[in-house]
Amino acid sequence: MVAPTEGYNLRLYVAGQTPKSVAAIANLQKICETHLPGRYNITIIDLMKDPALAQRDQIVAIPTLIRHLPEPLKRIIGDLSNAEKVLVGLDIAPT
Amino acid sequence: MDKPDIDRLALLHTASDAEETVRAIYQGAVDAVVVQGRNGPQIVTLSGADEPYRVLVERMTDGALTVSTEGLILYVNRRLSEMTGEEAGALIGKQFASLFAGAVPEDINSWTQPAEGGVRYEANLARGAAESLPVSVWAGPVALGDRPAALVTISDLSVQRRADEIAVAERFARSILEQATDAILVLDPSGRITHASWAAEQLVQTSPIGRQFSDAFPLVTADPTQAGALERYSAPMLDSLLATRPFHGLEVRLRGRESDDSNARTFLLSAGPLLDQAKQVVGSIVTLTDISARKRAEEQQTMLVAELNHRVKNILAIVQSIATQTVRNTGSLDGFKETFGGRLRALSVAHDVLTKTRWGGVEVTQLLKEIMSPYRERVSIEGPPLVMSSQSIVPLSMVLHELMTNAAKYGALSSSGHILLTWQKSEAPATVQMVWQEEGGPRVAGGTRRGFGTKLIERVMSYDLEGSAGLDFQPSGLVCTLSFPIAGPRFSLQDPPASTAALG
Repeated sequence: MVAPTEGYNLRLYVAGQTPKSVAAIANLQKICETHLPGRYNITIIDLMKDPALAQRDQIVAIPTLIRHLPEPLKRIIGDLSNAEKVLVGLDIAPT
Repeated sequence: MDKPDIDRLALLHTASDAEETVRAIYQGAVDAVVVQGRNGPQIVTLSGADEPYRVLVERMTDGALTVSTEGLILYVNRRLSEMTGEEAGALIGKQFASLFAGAVPEDINSWTQPAEGGVRYEANLARGAAESLPVSVWAGPVALGDRPAALVTISDLSVQRRADEIAVAERFARSILEQATDAILVLDPSGRITHASWAAEQLVQTSPIGRQFSDAFPLVTADPTQAGALERYSAPMLDSLLATRPFHGLEVRLRGRESDDSNARTFLLSAGPLLDQAKQVVGSIVTLTDISARKRAEEQQTMLVAELNHRVKNILAIVQSIATQTVRNTGSLDGFKETFGGRLRALSVAHDVLTKTRWGGVEVTQLLKEIMSPYRERVSIEGPPLVMSSQSIVPLSMVLHELMTNAAKYGALSSSGHILLTWQKSEAPATVQMVWQEEGGPRVAGGTRRGFGTKLIERVMSYDLEGSAGLDFQPSGLVCTLSFPIAGPRFSLQDPPASTAALG
């Protein structure tokens, strides 16, 4: 288990303004503010602008959220509308 | 954990990610995927990704379209359909050049293969039967997948052109105002001045723009027959009237400008309402036409008519007097005709001289040349410059006529004699002494002939010229000395060049 005091380094891969991408950005912000206040860092990567960046995290479907830290790397695909699934996927204990 | 275990674990992770990805796509949790293209990864949207852009392009206020490199229209937005008056379906597949009317640029097909950064042209967009629309066309490169194409925007220039035309019209109107010789003002509906001609600014010696009309141009009625026409209104009411109602032809003066000549000037005040397209009054044009010169001309004309009337009556009285006295002193009808006719001609010559000099002063030399013209070879004149007033011309002409007639009948001019006419001025009192001296005529017998001619000379000299005449019938010829004052308006001494001359 990840110690709750450790910071979360997250990358969200989106594709411009597709509905799922827009929803994923909003949902991730909401979840982090609720469950990881002050303990997270989000980088949003628009693959429409630079598709080559998809190779770095071997992105196939968009949107995709990658948890870089704490290790191990975790991957959640989709618009993050199911908060419970996101919390489980990121190993975050619900508060 | 040994290496085969690690490899198996990595494989399991990969399989798990792959399964998760497939499930997410299958469940519709993603709307874009990354695929490998010829030039590396490409993003393929599954649905809705371009919706915001499509809406943006559809709602643009400019026309937008994409065109293949062959010049075929691939897509048009709603605005372009509105501009051309054709449905999008009718436009797609047409040649790009067919969108334009009139002289289509020769290189129009190159517009669909624009360089990076794009190109801009001006053209006329065809609109079916309607008048074509001036437009600005911008074309830039775009890739539709792997295929190059052109992205074109078309902007309506008619609004800008109309604004330019309005600006030109405004400048034109402004120049008219500036060049107008009348004071012209534009008022808003409240009577506030919004525009003023150069002449109007000169009238009040400052820019009146922004001020109420009555405040900038305080007016009083100039025509006594229209007294009170302006004064019965309060300033706000007058401003409102001038700003909204037609108003013509009231003679006015500027009040409170005693320090300059504008107070003495008379203006014709007129106002005409300005209407907008809905026929609503949006203000007025007020003109103040300077009619001072016209008023002065009218006054001068009135004075001239009165003067002419006076002079005609005067002449008629003179003619009547001459006729009466000629009848009284002539024995026969033939004698009357000759004498009366001669005297009328003398009167006529005097009037000709007066007309030539516009009833101003007459140089005595000029007068003498006219009167003595029948005998110009035989009369010598000599004297200092002397300008005679118009009132003295007729009496002196009559006197000289009588002397000339007398000389022609009995004196020097009846034979080969001649006449010397001299004059001198003397001071205190300022008088003129003119001497008529006949020489070389028939010898004059002793005594005198005191006919009507000599009586007329004495009477005219006495009553009309306030002077005297001395007639001396010497054996060598008549010597007549005429003395009359240089006084008041009758005579004025000036220095014209003429002094001594033979009449010829």
